[in-house]
Amino acid sequence: MFSLLTVMADSGPKKAQYERDPYTHTVAHEALETKSEVESFEIREVLRCILHTIVFHRALGLIRPKDIDLELFDITYVQCGEIEVEKKIDDKIEQFVTWIGKHPNKKSQICLTFYEVKTKQPSWFTNKIERLYWEQWNINLSAFQPPTKPPVGKSHHSKLVMDPGEESEDISSRRTLLEQSLQEVLFQIIKFVNEKKDHVPPINDGVIYCPFEITFPSSSDSTFGMDMLKRMLHSGGHPSMLS
Amino acid sequence: MDFPENLPSSSDIGRLEQIVSHFFPKALHIVLDSRIPSLQSRGRTRDRNLNLKKSDKWFNLIMGDRPAALDKLHSWHRNILDSMIIDIILIRDHDHAETVIERWVVQYENPLIMSPQSSDPCTRYQKVYKKAIILLRSLYAQTRLLPAYRVSRQLSSSLASSGFEMVYKVSSFSPPVTETMTEFRFSPVEVPPGRLCASVTYRSDLSAFNLGAHITLPPRIITDYVGSPATDPMRFFPSPGQSFEATSSFHGRAGRGPPSERPHSWTSGFHRPPTPNQSFSPQFSPDFHCSRTDGGDQHQLSPPFSPSGSPSTPRGSNSPRINVRPGTAPVTIPSSATFNRYVSSNFSEPSRNPLPPFSPKSTRRSPSSQDSLPGIALYKSSRSGESPSGLINHYPAHKLTKESKYDSGRFSGLLSSSGSPRFGFSRSPSRLSSDLEDPDCSCPFDFDDVDESSGGLQYSQSLDRRKTSSSISQSLPIGRKSQDAAVGVLVQMLKTAPPLRQDSSTYMASSMSGVQREGSSVSGTESEFSMARSTSDALEELRNYKQLKDLLLSKSKSVGGATRVH
Repeated sequence: MFSLLTVMADSGPKKAQYERDPYTHTVAHEALETKSEVESFEIREVLRCILHTIVFHRALGLIRPKDIDLELFDITYVQCGEIEVEKKIDDKIEQFVTWIGKHPNKKSQICLTFYEVKTKQPSWFTNKIERLYWEQWNINLSAFQPPTKPPVGKSHHSKLVMDPGEESEDISSRRTLLEQSLQEVLFQIIKFVNEKKDHVPPINDGVIYCPFEITFPSSSDSTFGMDMLKRMLHSGGHPSMLS
Repeated sequence: MDFPENLPSSSDIGRLEQIVSHFFPKALHIVLDSRIPSLQSRGRTRDRNLNLKKSDKWFNLIMGDRPAALDKLHSWHRNILDSMIIDIILIRDHDHAETVIERWVVQYENPLIMSPQSSDPCTRYQKVYKKAIILLRSLYAQTRLLPAYRVSRQLSSSLASSGFEMVYKVSSFSPPVTETMTEFRFSPVEVPPGRLCASVTYRSDLSAFNLGAHITLPPRIITDYVGSPATDPMRFFPSPGQSFEATSSFHGRAGRGPPSERPHSWTSGFHRPPTPNQSFSPQFSPDFHCSRTDGGDQHQLSPPFSPSGSPSTPRGSNSPRINVRPGTAPVTIPSSATFNRYVSSNFSEPSRNPLPPFSPKSTRRSPSSQDSLPGIALYKSSRSGESPSGLINHYPAHKLTKESKYDSGRFSGLLSSSGSPRFGFSRSPSRLSSDLEDPDCSCPFDFDDVDESSGGLQYSQSLDRRKTSSSISQSLPIGRKSQDAAVGVLVQMLKTAPPLRQDSSTYMASSMSGVQREGSSVSGTESEFSMARSTSDALEELRNYKQLKDLLLSKSKSVGGATRVH
């Protein structure tokens, strides 16, 4: 059972945008929409690649970079090498993929947000910990389920390879397209992280990577918006430019 | 820290100068490390964070020990105002035509006229340093994205000559490149009184160089392969070697195989051994996908036959299985008909409660799979001149086990006698032979749980149908080591031994004996193998078999025929 996805990547600094438009994830840079489709097992690869690349540029502590070659594509990306980061990203991707599996034919968005933790004097909010979000990356995906086709290479022993011909041609051309798109996305990420550096909080001693969270709508889009709103309120005042 | 409003403090100036002066060698290191294999850092292992040189900590990017060559390269760069231009050049072998495929330019621009107001009070060295770190991060990521990276990997991993060589040139001035190249400019970082700039100009299309032509050929299965890594460790094995040579991961990738491969990222880079998945020859059978009811968590195979191999994830349970040493010789592979006979019989069994676990043996392979990783790396690095160490020694045993009626415990013993990390598994004889003979099999050692119930039945049939003499005759002349000869003799002996009885208990006998054998010390079996076997030894062996068989028959009766086999 395949589920095919389209991948879009948006990114943009969020600090000023929160007040104006907390629900729409404003695209500060050109959205890169790919027309190619992503199969379910490709989602993991694609997401891992994108998320790790972003985090790598925000892991400003002492790191030992790790080059990872994607299996499905001719692309190498870089991880920051921190195990917790890897685990966190993998866990979230798995949750997301599970969610996608349950909600096919739906647009969804996975957000990677960086925040700064500020402790505050206890006030009306019981929680003293305040998160100031200073950057948000949005990855938009839409999943749809094609007509079911039998899994490849299942029982008939003579069919050990996929039939060459239309099926694999389509898939390989789609995959080539996806690979190009993914490459474009990575270029975009690099371009963006280069363009705006001032809003990045200073590096603290001993902190390897900027804390981040990955969120995606767990039920519907409206709830997702509510989650964003809650997070906004939770964080206290508007995030100021951090110097 | 408070600074005067307009001017950075003197300590800041010193620090800023340091940032600039260290930026150049770091950028040089990043670029050349990703392009020139001979300049790759050696010390990039995970467990060496303690002994980091101070120079390596600059910009919070650990690259490993900087090769001395890089330091020498950088020593010419006395004046930080000079540009540093790094050209990556492809030289064609036959006519030495040079083509600049990439040009990196790092420069510290210092405008002569700089108004005081432009020195932002916020440009403390910490902020500058932070921005420089980000710049180098993106430079690092960019080196991996550009086409020259792939080219460099292809050239360095290719076992056959590709007709090109990649060289570099570092200079302060270079004639402008004439071809149309794409340029990417990194955003400059303000470092008072100037700014650090980096840019890269590259050829986006390198297909004209025909670099990967010999690599993109689809891997072929050589069904009558004769060869041994023992004879020539550095030998290039063409067809399964397609994947062997490409222990760098980007061979056999990207749509070459059917798309339903299982996704995972390979943790391979220049400095870490590729996962086993990369290097496995196309010997994996999709048929097993369905048959894994037992120990299934350990034997998940990707459905389709894929030249890029890698049926299993690098994580955890599956990696133990992939113990086919990637740097070793492929084996003679039987026809798929033989193999599929086993498989179909398995399919007809609804519930195959696994026989007493061969799976533990699979898990026992975990340590060896860990060992296999360095082995893979070693094999790969042998291309760059390092010795592959004893890993290739494992392999001769594989191709010799054809009619392997012999006990699996012996097999494991045999393998370990060659000094390899132990496979630590037991195999039923017939299964083993089917492993090796089927071109579409997955890793030969995957079949533990599949064949167990059927192996006994078709055991004698397989004996007849399998290619016997040819394989043995192949194996004996090949092995120069005494182990090979010993194994060959052993196999011959087992072949000529009468078959076990054809029922489930027989199979259980063989599997249980495998379990028992496992417990025996390896060294004991090792010594057995190394001795020449006489007829009396063979007879003794036969007697042992019969005893075991009787024992297990009695046990099976008590068990009540738990496993149904056709």
